Amino acid sequence: MKMHTFKGGVHPPEKKGFTADKAIESVYPSTNMVSIPLTMGGKPNELLVSVGDTVTRGQKIADNTDCLSAPVHSSISGKVKKIETKLLADGSTGQCIIIEGDGQNIESFMPKLDPFTCSKTEALERVREAGIVGMGGAAFPTHVKLFPPKEKPISVVIANGAECEPYLTIDDMTMQERATNIIDGLAIATKIVGAPKALLAIEDNKKHLLPILNEAIEKSGNTELSLVLTKTKYPQGGEKSLIKAVLKKEVPSCGIPADIGCVVLNVNTLCAISDAFRLGKPLIDRPLTISGAACENPKNIVVPIGTVLADLIPETIRLKEDLVKILSGGPMMGVSLPNTSFPIAKNTSGILFLNKKETDLTTESQCISCGRCIDVCSCRITPVMIVKELAAGNMAEALRYGLMDCVECGSCVYVCPAHVQLIQRIRTGKQIRRSEIAQELQIQEKNLADCGKVMEADCGCGGDK
Amino acid sequence: MAKVKTSNELYISPSPHITGPETSQKIMFLVILSLIPLCIYGVYLFGLPALLTIGVAVVSCLVFEALFQVLTKQSILIKDGSAIVSGIMLALVLPPQLPLWMTVLGAAFAMIVAKAFFGGIGANVFNPALTGRAFLFVSFPAAMGTWPLPRTAQSLVETVTSATGGIIDEVTSATALSSSSLIVDSKTYFDFFIGNRAGCIGESSIALILLAFAFLAVTKVIDWRAPLAMVATVALASFLAGGDVLMAMLSGGLLFGAVFMATDYATSPVTKKGRLVFGFGAGLITFLIRQFGGYPEGVMFSILIMNALTPFLNKLIPQKYGYIKPSKKVAKK
Repeated sequence: MKMHTFKGGVHPPEKKGFTADKAIESVYPSTNMVSIPLTMGGKPNELLVSVGDTVTRGQKIADNTDCLSAPVHSSISGKVKKIETKLLADGSTGQCIIIEGDGQNIESFMPKLDPFTCSKTEALERVREAGIVGMGGAAFPTHVKLFPPKEKPISVVIANGAECEPYLTIDDMTMQERATNIIDGLAIATKIVGAPKALLAIEDNKKHLLPILNEAIEKSGNTELSLVLTKTKYPQGGEKSLIKAVLKKEVPSCGIPADIGCVVLNVNTLCAISDAFRLGKPLIDRPLTISGAACENPKNIVVPIGTVLADLIPETIRLKEDLVKILSGGPMMGVSLPNTSFPIAKNTSGILFLNKKETDLTTESQCISCGRCIDVCSCRITPVMIVKELAAGNMAEALRYGLMDCVECGSCVYVCPAHVQLIQRIRTGKQIRRSEIAQELQIQEKNLADCGKVMEADCGCGGDK
Repeated sequence: MAKVKTSNELYISPSPHITGPETSQKIMFLVILSLIPLCIYGVYLFGLPALLTIGVAVVSCLVFEALFQVLTKQSILIKDGSAIVSGIMLALVLPPQLPLWMTVLGAAFAMIVAKAFFGGIGANVFNPALTGRAFLFVSFPAAMGTWPLPRTAQSLVETVTSATGGIIDEVTSATALSSSSLIVDSKTYFDFFIGNRAGCIGESSIALILLAFAFLAVTKVIDWRAPLAMVATVALASFLAGGDVLMAMLSGGLLFGAVFMATDYATSPVTKKGRLVFGFGAGLITFLIRQFGGYPEGVMFSILIMNALTPFLNKLIPQKYGYIKPSKKVAKK
């Protein structure tokens, strides 16, 4: 099988052995409570329930009329206890709907819908109503991805099963256990966007999946669907890197994959799509990997979305004394959190408990200008120069070196012998640039408004004279 | 929550949370390792004076760096090993019999003026060792231009001493570039290749320098681009000028400069394209100085001149992801 790859990238230790052979275990929070964030991807939602309301599993509890939003559903049946601001899995804080379970698990799913006979509008509506967002990490509303502008026809849908982050095995496990659903979800997505072709990309460290996936594809009888093997390398699963590796094409700067006729969807997202049609089930359960050397019993689990991590300890997860870092997501792009009292969200692909030996706690030293960050960059930007120009306050040069093109994969920091926090500086630089743009727009608007006034004044006077 | 022990110190930091095995110290260590054979061979060739020069240069570099950092109330960073590298490199490009106080002065200039004044490790514009050497070269041209022959080259001593009028054991500017009395034959090439000739402590043995280059390139400490471009440019220019190409490559400090000085991280470009241009420029200037300049050797000044251009060469960046070349875009439309 041909091996696809991109230029650059790094090879961090995979560490997938912790959970590679652990079947996905269904668990439930010990407190019988969930804290569901009001918004998980897309524009901010509005509450549809109030304290004291009884809700069922699958009932919509927050939504917004904006098309760039994704609704949120209750993941258990019970009563809305309170609405409060909590720590979220991305390190920020936000409003959560706290629901106490009644233990009955009453489900109210949507009616089943045949994806291959319904209209495109119906299908898109179903994906939206199921609250499906990108489960690989970005949480971008999937129905928006599946509805690209008319002038951008989609020629291929890529299922992203690369899972290049160390430790994480949940996509791998989902592909093992739910291959049929993934293939079904991929077929549905392909049908919605009207693409003639679909690809399922995995890294070559998951060759054990080949027979399983091949069988699932054969069974589906879908001929436009094929498997693609990519080299095990970080960030192979990054949208831009994967497209470059598989299609040998590049997403234009500031553009979207649809610009070059492609859509990339995570394998778990595809499962959710399949469930939304076949079962009428919205996105209310999240499979994820619990791993790290400071976790006594690493495993793959599936939990109701909104399950607070602390509620899984110690019944499901037992921690070791030497814990120094809690991460949501993988070690390359994940967020470190101050405690365990945050809910698992739609895009939480893993929780890692790291000890001192595994994580990097060294402080940065001075850059020695070795250029290694340039060699590994999958976007072919020049991190060292961006950071130097930012320090000098030279935004124009920082932009030329590729400030806004950074995908923040962290490869540069990984190889940096001086441990310079390049990514953090680039993030700060991006924020500065964004506020600059916002300011510029404001000034422009103000100028336009002023201009309008002047013109009005001119007209008024001119008539008189 | 109380479920995580409060006695635990939890760390919050931006991603990524893991880093590779590479550290600045390890890189410096590998560079030092690659220089050691050259040091040993230099001591073998030139005896005690070479050993003393190397020792004094390294210790002075460490002391001056630390001293400056103490006086300016900075944190002491001599542990990173870069001062040791500068010290060895400085010693290896000095004639072995140079008075030790001059070596100390050179080290002081290298560490304080060339490195610390510009902001220390990674921030210096000019290669410290070369700047130190240039300082000595213009201050003490006589001492810096006197090269003893290695003790292994006794026959050569006789030839040259008779030709130059009987200065025993020492011959001024005996690089092949300026001495017309050397009869160049295959034995001369071989002597130059193994370092059996008058010269600086570490510049002599081409064989060992090539070994160090292979080692550093394989361990990915240095990029092959700048050294290769530099040597190739000198070779090509010599060929076009009708000179002795092989001698141009083997003699003087070309190889040492190309491998160790043109690859210095802080003072050479960070981008690959930049490194190629850097090597090309250094090679060209070396050739021009050798051919038309007043000095017999041009490696030092050529690299220092290119050092000054490095900030501009850093602007030669790779094609960024998602930026299609304009010509292609037009063709598509």
